Amino acid sequence: MVTGGSGSGKSAYAESLLYSCEGIRYYIATMQIYDAEGEKKVERHRKLRAGKGFLTIESPMNVGKIQFVCAGESGQAQYRQEAERKGQCSSEKKSALLECMSNLTANEMFTKDGMKSEEEVVEKIVSEIQTLSQKLDNLVIVTNNVFEDGVIYDAGTMEYLRALGRINAALAHLADRVAEVVVGIPVELKG
Amino acid sequence: MQLYIGGYAQGKLAYVQEKLKGQEVPVVNDLHLWVKQLLQEGKPAEEIVLQYYKEHSDCIFICDEIGNGIVPMEKQEREYRERVGRLLIRLAGEAETVERIICGIGQKIK
Repeated sequence: MVTGGSGSGKSAYAESLLYSCEGIRYYIATMQIYDAEGEKKVERHRKLRAGKGFLTIESPMNVGKIQFVCAGESGQAQYRQEAERKGQCSSEKKSALLECMSNLTANEMFTKDGMKSEEEVVEKIVSEIQTLSQKLDNLVIVTNNVFEDGVIYDAGTMEYLRALGRINAALAHLADRVAEVVVGIPVELKG
Repeated sequence: MQLYIGGYAQGKLAYVQEKLKGQEVPVVNDLHLWVKQLLQEGKPAEEIVLQYYKEHSDCIFICDEIGNGIVPMEKQEREYRERVGRLLIRLAGEAETVERIICGIGQKIK
């Protein structure tokens, strides 16, 4: 797991971890785009990944349900074709970069059907990440340090912060390695 | 160049002064506030700071870490945080040493 603040360089570092992984590399994008600024951010990240052999899976919610298919398997033809074209399906190994937990948590909590509870969101995400992890050889999760501005927000935002904090702690416990990126420098917290 | 970062009121300046022991070195304290002012004035903040570094290669930059919070609603605030963060990555890349100050204690990360 990779954590860090805004503009800390955590994404670039997390991506660099994937380059040493053999086989198919997936990028699990959780961000929902609402406006031009969001588009710009996604575009910047796309450029960072361009030509580096990532297959992008858009999954703003329900990451436990993602199916990773390869040649010969059914469904998700576009990923399969792309992977075949790049000659990546010769290897069985699958690695993924999930970016990022703060978006996924917000998407799972503030849904079209109203707000889900901290308890429900923590349980769902931690369980789904374990499911996701079992389908992969390597999983790198980017999360976000949004906890240090000392501001008391509205009740909903505070509940979101508690949920994300608990998710981060639970995933750090499960993770083999945890690093915080500070001004582009990875600082090892675990592993 | 040396870079010192950390949260608000963590004793960064005192830590640097203690280390300098009276040596005359150009110190830019509160780099984030300088950047903020330059952005408010519509000036190319990164260019100006990097130019300063070019002219004072032995300098010390001290900057608050401002990216570790909820992403603000206001576009200008978001841009400020993002640009300070990206600038610090560049400066950290150039710096001979980078230290993060927490509770007055320095953690050398480069």
